[in-house]
Amino acid sequence: MKKEKLEDYSLSKNSKKKQQPFKLGIVGCGSMGQEIAITASQHGIDVVFIDITDERIEGIMRSINEQLDAMIRHWGMTEGDKKAVLSRIKGYLGYEVLRECRLVIEAVNTKKPVNSLELRRNIFKKIEAAVCNNTVIASNASTKVIDDLSVSLEKPERAIGLHFLSPAYDVKIVEVNKSWKTSEEAYEQTLKFAKMIDKQPINVNGTPGNISTRLIIPLINEACQMLMEGVSTIEEIDVCMKLGYGLQHGPFAMADKIGIDKLMRWMEGLYLEYGDVKYKASPIIKRLVRAGLFGQRVGEGFYCYENGQRTEKEGSIYNLGRMK
Amino acid sequence: MKILVLNCGSSSIKYQLFNIEDEEILAKGIVQKIGMNGSFLENKRSDGDKVKLEGEILDHESGIGYILGVLTSEQHGSLKSLDEIDAVGHRVVHGGEEFNSSVLITNEVVKKMEECIDLAPLHNPPNLKGIYSMQELLPSVPQVGVFDTAFHQSMPAWSYMYAIPYSLYEKYGLRRYGFHGTSHRYVSKRACEFLKLNYENQKIITCHLGNGSSIAAIKNGKSLDTSMGLTPVEGLMMGTRTGDLDLGVLLYIMDKEEIGTQAANTLINKHSGVLGISGVSSDMRDVEDSAADGNERARLALDMFHYRIRKYIGAYVASMGGVDVIVFTGGIGENGPESREEICKDFEYLGLRFDHEKNKGLRSKEADLSQTDSNVKVVVIPTDEELVIARDTFEIVKGS
Repeated sequence: MKKEKLEDYSLSKNSKKKQQPFKLGIVGCGSMGQEIAITASQHGIDVVFIDITDERIEGIMRSINEQLDAMIRHWGMTEGDKKAVLSRIKGYLGYEVLRECRLVIEAVNTKKPVNSLELRRNIFKKIEAAVCNNTVIASNASTKVIDDLSVSLEKPERAIGLHFLSPAYDVKIVEVNKSWKTSEEAYEQTLKFAKMIDKQPINVNGTPGNISTRLIIPLINEACQMLMEGVSTIEEIDVCMKLGYGLQHGPFAMADKIGIDKLMRWMEGLYLEYGDVKYKASPIIKRLVRAGLFGQRVGEGFYCYENGQRTEKEGSIYNLGRMK
Repeated sequence: MKILVLNCGSSSIKYQLFNIEDEEILAKGIVQKIGMNGSFLENKRSDGDKVKLEGEILDHESGIGYILGVLTSEQHGSLKSLDEIDAVGHRVVHGGEEFNSSVLITNEVVKKMEECIDLAPLHNPPNLKGIYSMQELLPSVPQVGVFDTAFHQSMPAWSYMYAIPYSLYEKYGLRRYGFHGTSHRYVSKRACEFLKLNYENQKIITCHLGNGSSIAAIKNGKSLDTSMGLTPVEGLMMGTRTGDLDLGVLLYIMDKEEIGTQAANTLINKHSGVLGISGVSSDMRDVEDSAADGNERARLALDMFHYRIRKYIGAYVASMGGVDVIVFTGGIGENGPESREEICKDFEYLGLRFDHEKNKGLRSKEADLSQTDSNVKVVVIPTDEELVIARDTFEIVKGS
């Protein structure tokens, strides 16, 4: 069959300049960055992500591949879907590929317990230097105020908070955190993206911690407090909340799922912002982090995990340390 | 009169251009991967000219723009100008309870179609995009909507209702609607023309068997029952869909595998059926080859596929009080002599005498597969949904 260029066959009416297809940029493709990339690609959006070395880019693509395989094992996808999703995600070293993106999300995953504000500001600055005038720059940060990040931008009105909850491909909402400077255009563009990926946008007016992080942290802290008081066991506190309030996970299982190290960083961020003890990391959280028991990701936290199965730890609070 | 038929999917558009007086297809083709990388348009003209046009197709409107562009082009076109297009017919998947026949598209009709989106959230929006685009590109050309569900709107309530609280039917319109209606209507009528029978007093069972399969009981020219329901997942075992399933099984799986509605939807629509059982493929030819090589699961998948069709035929014989004609159509129905043979066995008690010799090797053409003394006629009728859409469009535009 003969092959020709499509553009030679456009109707004059149709030849008018159209907007380019929506392309998403992601800077920092850790676990959440990867989930956002998968989610967007599942909805037909081309995704480019930036990371710092070729090895890391390869590792990220491997990890995305594994996540897609897990989705197939859990019936959420077919091999054909996987191929299509992978074909739309590409990793690069240089920021210049962000030029064609209509939205760029900063999703830096800082493993170190340090304040990531400067790092994120720098990334915002680099993104702005690479993108077009009307590109929206968003941050997935859980506990940062978008105003604090956008000060590094020449056009702070393009900055917005866009907070995904994990796993981003399953959770049906996304928190859209406007600052007082965010323009209507940037906000509308962000809502359009939320619609494209089939998420319900939850409007948040310029608060660090959004709604989800501010509410989950006191719950987990209070559960730890009850544990320390000997009120009940990990399992029973979880079952109580799960069955009592119809939650998908109890507070401890939720902490393990989020990652206890990440949780502690959120707690420190919100405590720094609000100075309220309800956000101050519980000693149990700190103890688990020191022991490297970060939860489900590493196979042990409040519970143990083997082959995807969660098992209870024997004993009480005193046995929260590493299992033998 | 020249009629353009469009079938807009989520990322594709199939089209055929008819000269309706002699029902000649002047051109046909497909636009693929709309809004994605690697999008293209393939056009085939009646004289054999074929071309693949590669480039960016951002949305349905530009896809349709390119279709009109190639149809009027010097090199590969079939029309001198767009003025030659007299009407456009659209395939619309779900017409809900609102539409029991094809209609001329007006603003009021579009509004009602938009109200049906909830019932087919994956299919109706792209169908509507095609309509909006045509209203924009060819505003003075009449458009007609032909609904997959319309033919089955004749089903009586005792046939289409689900045994769920009635309030849920009232609240959400949850009931059997059925699909492939255009195909069931066409092949049942055509079978009667072919067999020289009066359509108005026959009991016909139409088996549309393809990657998606459905079966319908048509009594005196009206659909009495059909196997697909609110969605196309109910009924026969299909390439990748479960077909009928104990609802308790799905609840059990969701609980044990800890999956939500999204994964459950993928499980029942994409991982199941012939593919799920055989583990080989959703394509019947691959599964038949594998079964012939001794793959037991492939054999099981085929046995299940055939058995379930026989079971439905039996049920529809009971519901109509007999059967005069059984029609095979769709990819497997038209091209699967082995499947037809398996499905038609053991129906001697109905007086059906299947002609095994005529069936052997018969593919893609009209044929009577029953012996002359058979009480029940078995026929193969290749389906032609695009032609039905073009004919309906012609009738409606002529009438208006």
